[in-house]
This record gives sequence, C-alpha cells and structure tokens, in this order.
Amino acid sequence: MSLARTNIPPVINITNLHKRFGNLEVLKGIDLDIYQSEVVCLIGPSGSGKSTLLRCINFLESYEQGLVKINEEPMGFVEMYDGTLRKAPAARVLESRRDLGMVFQHFNLWPHMNVLENVTEALRSVKLRPRDKAEAKGKAMLEKVGLGDKLDSYPANLSGGQQQRVAIARALAMDPSIMLFDEPTSALDPELVGDVLAVMRSLAAEGMTMVIVTHEMGFAMDVADRVVFMEDGKIVEQGDPKTLFNAPKSPRLAAFLSSWNRRTNS
Amino acid sequence: MSSAFEFEVVLTSLPTLLKGAGVTLGISMASIALGLVVGMLVCLCRISDRKLLSWPAAVFISALRGIPILVLLLIVFYMLPLVGIGIPPIMAAILSMSLNSGAFQAEIYRGGFLSIPRGQAEAARALGMSESRILWRILIPQVMNKVAPSLTNELIMLLKNSSLASSITVVELLRTSQQIVSNTYRPTELYLTAALLYILMSIAISVVSDTARRKFYHGGRVTA
Amino acid sequence: MNFSVLEAYQGAILGGLGTTIYICALSIALGLVLGLAIELVRQELPWMRMPCRIYVEFFRGSPILIQIFLIYYAGPHFGLLLSPVTAGVVGLSLYGAAYYAEIFRSGFEAVPKGQIEAAECLGISPSRVLWRIKLPQMTALVLPPLVNQSIILIKDSAVLSVITVPELTKQTSKIINETFTIAEPLLVLALLYWALVEGLSRLGRFLETRMNRHITSSAGRTS
Repeated sequence: MSLARTNIPPVINITNLHKRFGNLEVLKGIDLDIYQSEVVCLIGPSGSGKSTLLRCINFLESYEQGLVKINEEPMGFVEMYDGTLRKAPAARVLESRRDLGMVFQHFNLWPHMNVLENVTEALRSVKLRPRDKAEAKGKAMLEKVGLGDKLDSYPANLSGGQQQRVAIARALAMDPSIMLFDEPTSALDPELVGDVLAVMRSLAAEGMTMVIVTHEMGFAMDVADRVVFMEDGKIVEQGDPKTLFNAPKSPRLAAFLSSWNRRTNS
Repeated sequence: MSSAFEFEVVLTSLPTLLKGAGVTLGISMASIALGLVVGMLVCLCRISDRKLLSWPAAVFISALRGIPILVLLLIVFYMLPLVGIGIPPIMAAILSMSLNSGAFQAEIYRGGFLSIPRGQAEAARALGMSESRILWRILIPQVMNKVAPSLTNELIMLLKNSSLASSITVVELLRTSQQIVSNTYRPTELYLTAALLYILMSIAISVVSDTARRKFYHGGRVTA
Repeated sequence: MNFSVLEAYQGAILGGLGTTIYICALSIALGLVLGLAIELVRQELPWMRMPCRIYVEFFRGSPILIQIFLIYYAGPHFGLLLSPVTAGVVGLSLYGAAYYAEIFRSGFEAVPKGQIEAAECLGISPSRVLWRIKLPQMTALVLPPLVNQSIILIKDSAVLSVITVPELTKQTSKIINETFTIAEPLLVLALLYWALVEGLSRLGRFLETRMNRHITSSAGRTS
C-alpha cells in the first residue's frame, strides 16, 4: 500500500465493473485502482470472477456496465464529445493492448513456430521491426527468462515451465508497461513452478506493474504489494499480504485461507 | 427472355415429380440395403487373416471406389446383355449403386471394427465363445451402432447419386423433371423444384435416422 | 477381347483424358479459392452467415447433375450462355466450393482459441493472425479431407458427359457408338479413372506425411 499516491493517477482504474455471462452475473460492481510498479495478486475460490476481471482489463471480455481505464484512457470504449461511451473499433482495441502484456494459464504458444519465432512474431508484424532488430530483442528477452539456448526449439520439445517462460518473454518483447498473469503456474507440474515464479519475481523487482491471478500464496506473500481477495464477483478484502494472511478481517477470507492451509499441509 | 418464376408449373408438375421422387427413394433404399450385405461380406474378407480373402476384397474396394458411378452404370447396363443377362434399367441401376455403396460401406465397417478394442474379442475367446458367435453377438452390433451416422451420410449420397440412373433411362426424379422440362420449356422452375425435393428428402432421412438412433439405443451416444 | 480397335482412337481417348484433367484441375483450384472465401466471409460478416449457409446446403444437398442442368439449360433464360466446358467448370467449382467451405470451417474451429487470444493480446491484426497462425496449423488437418473431396470431384466430372462436354466419358461413348464395341472402351475408361483417382490418393498421402513432419500437434501437451 506504500504506493497509493493520491497525486499520481493509477495506471489501471476500474470503476463499477459489472459483467454477466448469459443470466449469470460474474462481476458485481468492481472498483479497483492499480498503481505504477505495484504487484497485485488476485486470489479467491474458483468462480469468484478473478480471471474474468483480469480479462476485462485488456478487453478480452467486454462488459455491460462500468469502465476500465488504462493510463487514463478508456479501454475498449471511446469517449465521445458529449461524454458518452461507444464501443471502440477493433483496430483501436488492438492498439490499446500494446501497453498490456498477458500470460495465460495454458501458455498459448504457437506450436508451428519455434521459440524465437514465437517471441518475434508480434515485433515484426505489429511494430514492424526489421528481422535483425526483432531477433536481437527476442534473444535478449529469452536470455532474461533463462532460455537463451532454446531459440530453435519448438514448443512441443519444451517442458511446461519452459513454455511458460517463453510466453513471458513473448509478452515482454513488446515492452508493455503492465503485465497481466492469468494463473500462470496452475497448469505446471510442481517442480517446474519455481522457475516461472523466479522470473516473475525478478520482473517485480525491476518495477513492472503486475496483476496476477494466482493460487500461489507463498509467492503472493513474498512478492505482492497488495493482495485482493474476491468471492462471488465482489472484492471482499484487500490489503498488504502479511496483514491479510495473518489477520484476515472478513470471515470468508479466513475460511478461504484455512481451507487453503489444510489442503497444502495435508 | 423468360417471364417471372412460374409457380403454376411447379404446382401442376408436383404430383409427377413426387412419383419420380418415390422411384429415387426406392432405388436408394434398395441400394443401401444390398450395399450393406455386400459391404459387410467384403469387409469381413478384407479384415480376414487369409490373403486369399483379403486381397481380392481390397481389389474390389479399390476398384469400385475408384471409378465414377456413371461409368459403373454404363458398364453394368451395357455389358451384362453381352454375357446374356438382360435386366431392366432400374435393376441395373440398383445393382451398380449397390456394388459402389458396398465398397464404401466395406471401408466404413472396417473403420468400425478397427475401433473396437481387441480386448473385447479376447475376453470372449477366453470364455470359450466361437469366432462366429463373437462376430455376431459382440462385434457387429457395436460396429453398426458406431457407424450409424456414416450410414446415414451414405444413404444421402446414394440419394443424390441415384440421379445418374437417369442416363440409363430410369425414370427417377431427375429424368422426370427432364421430361417435364421438354414439355414446358421451364428448366429453372423444374430443376430448382427437383433440387429442393432432393434436399428435403436428405433432411427427412437425417431426421428419421436421428430419432431412430435415439429410440433404439436409449439415447446413449457411443463415444468416439 | 480385342483392344486393337482402340488404337485408332488413341487421340480421342487422350483428348478426353486431357479435357477431364484440365476441367478438374481448374475446378479444384477455383473451388478451393471460392470455398475459402465463402468460409472467411461467413466468419467475418455476420449478415452473410445465412446466405453462405444456404449456398452450402444447396450445393451439398442436391445432385451435381441438377446443378449442371440449372447452369447449362436454365442459364440461357437469364442471359447466361455458357459453352458446355465453361458450364462444366462453373458447375464443378460451385459444387466443390460448398464442400471445401465446410472442410475449411472444421479446420478453423480446430485451432485452439487460446492461441488466437494470445495473438490478439499482442496486438496482432486479424489478417496476420489468419496467415501466420490459423492457416499454417490448419493445413495439416484439412489436407486429407480436401484431397478426398477433390478425388470425388474428379469422379463426378464424368457427369459432364451428359451435357456433351468432350471429356473422357463422352469420348468413350463416342467410340462405343462408332465402333460397336462395348467392353473394351468401357474397361479402358474405368481403368483410366481408377488410375487418376489412385494417383491423386497417393499424392495426397505423400503430402500428408510431409506436412506432419513440420506441424506438431498442439493438442495433448498444452492447450
């Protein structure tokens, strides 16, 4: 919470977000501000809406009510002269996403391209970098995540942890100012989780703004500046991890944490 | 330059067209039934361990799938009389289409047999069941259930292919519409109506087949 | 059986074979382009979904011969005066395109949505996503059905003989009428089609194995 400066606007500003899937309301009025260089972990039981919230931030999901602003610009919508909002054209949405990097639970690497090609594809087609510059940047990012020796490998030949690190490098190559992580380690075998968390740790240390949906409480405890507990489409409690985990104020958070402890200790 | 779409022609020719459609359905049904017998027999030969059976079966399948139905129709229609067998055109049509369908069905059944885990036959053998009993009581029932959708498709294909019988003078739907066109000079109306009748028959076959499956197999879908 | 009769008609047979190959090659090429276009239009333009669906259902649900008759005999009533060969190519192309469109549709659906999302998050444009991510992965998957459908098209091309296109079947009919032999021409006819079909099947299998070496299946390991 040391970063809640009132004079500098938040890089992500979410007001009164409501989202439904058919008849089911998944987000019931979310208000959240995230500041530069903050690491925010979203935790909660499944169905709480945390992944949906993350996907609304970069407009992978649209929403019915409320607004997401990235660096003070509305995301997915265009503000009209009279103050009303209209859905932004697809090209505009694509452009606004450049500042946001996303890492998915199932990596979503492109299997027919090798590691370097995966990382440089967006650089070449979106930012129109020439091949040598793109490859240089790609190599640098892959070095950064510890896979500098796997440039020619194909995703099928890599472990889950390696694939996820390539996915992180791919997102970083576009120089985003904000990184979104949707359960980045949930699909990994336990022994591979550590490598990915290490990369995320170093990113945080460098001052990257990160929003992470995760079940890794240990990681949240160590690295997060703020933990947000969601249940049933609402933010129930948020605060710095030590206070939250050791002295939860709401009974639902306490229940969630105790069931979590039981599961990990058994 | 012709005038606007004449619905009158369609209405007056509908009864005749429906008669033709009946012939079409009849040919198709007869062909798929005969094709089933041919197909199953050929398939059993094909998957047999005896080269004497599997090799000719493979040749049969390859030959009959590799030539156009029209050519097969011509061969049956024109060559059978040469060896002294004179059959009416409609029989020639049914014979050709049964042979053609049999070859395709043989492959469909082969796929079905291959998809049944070996363990089932082995368990039956271990219990002392005879090979033919295993075949008829365990393998074939499952195969037929699995291939039911493919058979529906095959029937629909036969329905469309039956239109080729028109070229050996069988008066099915296409030939009927040709005859009406030569009297009324309205090809658009008639051929479109005939096309729609074919489409309707295909839809009807799909619907009937789906309901039949659901009734006979208690709604249980066979996985994979 | 006396096959020497056919020697005199070699030219006619080869001419018919050439016409068949020419018509089929052209129809397959046009059909593939049209089929892909129809599927892409169906995906991108919501208001085109119904028209595309109607097109596909019509051309897949009715016999090819009726479609050819509509183009060749009903066409002139609308000012469409096509030669038999042109009508044949148009008919086969439209017919093939309907089947190809459905094959492309399954292909597109098989590409894992997550990969498309990842591309969208990186800001990659839809056309680039199509070229670099969707199509390369679809190719291995759609190639066998596309080859199968093309083989069916080649066999169906025999119906063009009914509207007097001088392709293989029509030429053979002429030979039958002129020489009064039946068995020899028909057997040669059957053999030639069989060879064409078998040849294309082998080519298809060869291409399939080559493609599978490069494309790794994305299903199984991760999503």
